Amino acid sequence: MTAPTPVESTRDPELDPELHGGSSDLRRLNRRRAAQVWGKTALLSVIMVWCLFPFVWLISTSLKQGDRALNSPNLFEGPFGLGNYRAVFEQSFHLNLRNSLMIAGVTTILCVIVGSLCAYAIARLPIKRKILLLSSVLAVSLFPPVALVPPLYELWRTLGLLNTWEGLYIPYTAFTLPLTIFILTTFFAAIPKDLAEAAKIDGATPFQAFYKIIFPLAAPGVFAAAIIIFVLSWNEFLLASTFAPRNPEIAQTVPVAIAGFTGAVEFQRPIGTITAACVVVTIPMIIVALIFQRRIVSGLTAGGVKG
Amino acid sequence: MTGTSVAPDPGTRSGAGGGGRGSPRAVRQGLSEKALGRIFISPSIALMSLVALFPVIWAFVLSLYVYTRRQPEGFGGFDNYVTALTNPRFWDSLQFTFVFTLSSVTLEFVIGMGFALLMNQAFRGRGVTRAAILIPWVIPTVVAAQMWFFMFNVTPGFINTIFGLGNFNWLGQSGTAAFAIIFADVWKTAPFVALLLLAGLQTIPNDVYESGKVDGAGPAARFFHITLPLLKPAILVALLFRTVDALRVYDLPQVMTRGAFDTESLSMLVQQYVVRTPNPGLGAALSTITFVLILGIGIIFVRLLGRDLVIGREEGK
Repeated sequence: MTAPTPVESTRDPELDPELHGGSSDLRRLNRRRAAQVWGKTALLSVIMVWCLFPFVWLISTSLKQGDRALNSPNLFEGPFGLGNYRAVFEQSFHLNLRNSLMIAGVTTILCVIVGSLCAYAIARLPIKRKILLLSSVLAVSLFPPVALVPPLYELWRTLGLLNTWEGLYIPYTAFTLPLTIFILTTFFAAIPKDLAEAAKIDGATPFQAFYKIIFPLAAPGVFAAAIIIFVLSWNEFLLASTFAPRNPEIAQTVPVAIAGFTGAVEFQRPIGTITAACVVVTIPMIIVALIFQRRIVSGLTAGGVKG
Repeated sequence: MTGTSVAPDPGTRSGAGGGGRGSPRAVRQGLSEKALGRIFISPSIALMSLVALFPVIWAFVLSLYVYTRRQPEGFGGFDNYVTALTNPRFWDSLQFTFVFTLSSVTLEFVIGMGFALLMNQAFRGRGVTRAAILIPWVIPTVVAAQMWFFMFNVTPGFINTIFGLGNFNWLGQSGTAAFAIIFADVWKTAPFVALLLLAGLQTIPNDVYESGKVDGAGPAARFFHITLPLLKPAILVALLFRTVDALRVYDLPQVMTRGAFDTESLSMLVQQYVVRTPNPGLGAALSTITFVLILGIGIIFVRLLGRDLVIGREEGK
């Protein structure tokens, strides 16, 4: 963003050949800079195309109507229309959306509440064996979810939690807690210690100091964590397809529905409907990613890399 | 002592060592910090042990029993493990999981490093690129899987058309099916790796490079002698998370091939025995083996990372 464009750099008195008696060295330097800027732009376009092109294909396909158009690899071959989207919602996809929204929402709220308490304790309160605690949290984040599938499946069957929202958001919360704790510990630790001290001198209890002073200050971090948790639980598939494989009326989530769309003929997937459903699921996420880009990145990097 | 003269004193009642009892401040202190710390961490610990730790132990117990049609038949010792380890399907899925992990993590690392180095330089449009890089990350894996399923398909055969391959059946034969799945995974996660590495790159101060330049180090020398060593923590974190994630892969092969053509992963195999061919004992034995494998590899990484990661967090500047 701050790099000089070729035009700007010729205005720079240090580099402007006119001001220095037309030194050919400097002119060559200028040309090299221009080449570098163009090179970077080209490489950058490679990244953009790599990241975005498949999605462009997805949108174009979801808008195509009729077998011939759908089976044509040409991005611009019509006729285009919203028929696929209508078909998606006729398959009670809105119920899947509701389930996913509720499950991911409850997971996010639970995770933020429970996780920020724990993160604050680790960052600021005197507890013993912090390293042991953090290592165990790290170990939980390494657990393969599939290791939980057999016992939880049996337990959920006994308790009647199969095909319920609870049956999904409880394990999701437990599984996203480690990441939440990592992210939030970093954010809490960055808040100056004096603030809590000052609150205490003013007569606040440690708990009041936490929820009146520290928690509001950590709000950006909490928000970043919340977005990340929401995205992760919105996208989860293994547990969702094991514990709530059918019935959009009850608890089947969006990814399970998308994976399960089948055509009239076996082995033939209805490409139009699936791509439309994929777009419906992804657009909100992309908007979230674009708006909160900075926060997501800071949250992710706080959780992933120290510093 | 009828209680009329003594005011209630929450400070001394909660009493968990909150400092001098008689002092006026202790009265207003409420819970001590130590007690608060314990209360604050207990819900997390309870939830994680209840949903993560306890089931793992239970899975081990389950795995020691023999089942017929979901009904326990009796204690079988390690019978289920013998069955699992002598099942060729287990070895096939283990092989696929390892091949998938090794190739996708390597490719993601190389591509991600390239992206990160590029984005670490100052130029116009860095913000836009960073936003674009998040998009594969927010797309649900199932959506990515469907997308690449169609793109690798014979009809409409987008990839075949672009590269003029005619009716080449990517997803219909072993080898190329695995390649397609690995490719989809690399597409989805290389940008994420780039993000983690970029965060690491930005912590390297510029003067280190300047002095490297002064000492006459070329770009390659600067990369191998300055960037890589200083980036080590970020690299290890990225590799740790990606390796563990790749070892538990489920969504991509499940949607793209349903495990056909030698693309069944360990997670898919476990899920198969738990839900579709109900044999809780065998399923639990397989999940325990998977658990031990993944955690073992994870622990090796954490060791390599040293206590650096954990201690760094605790001090948390």
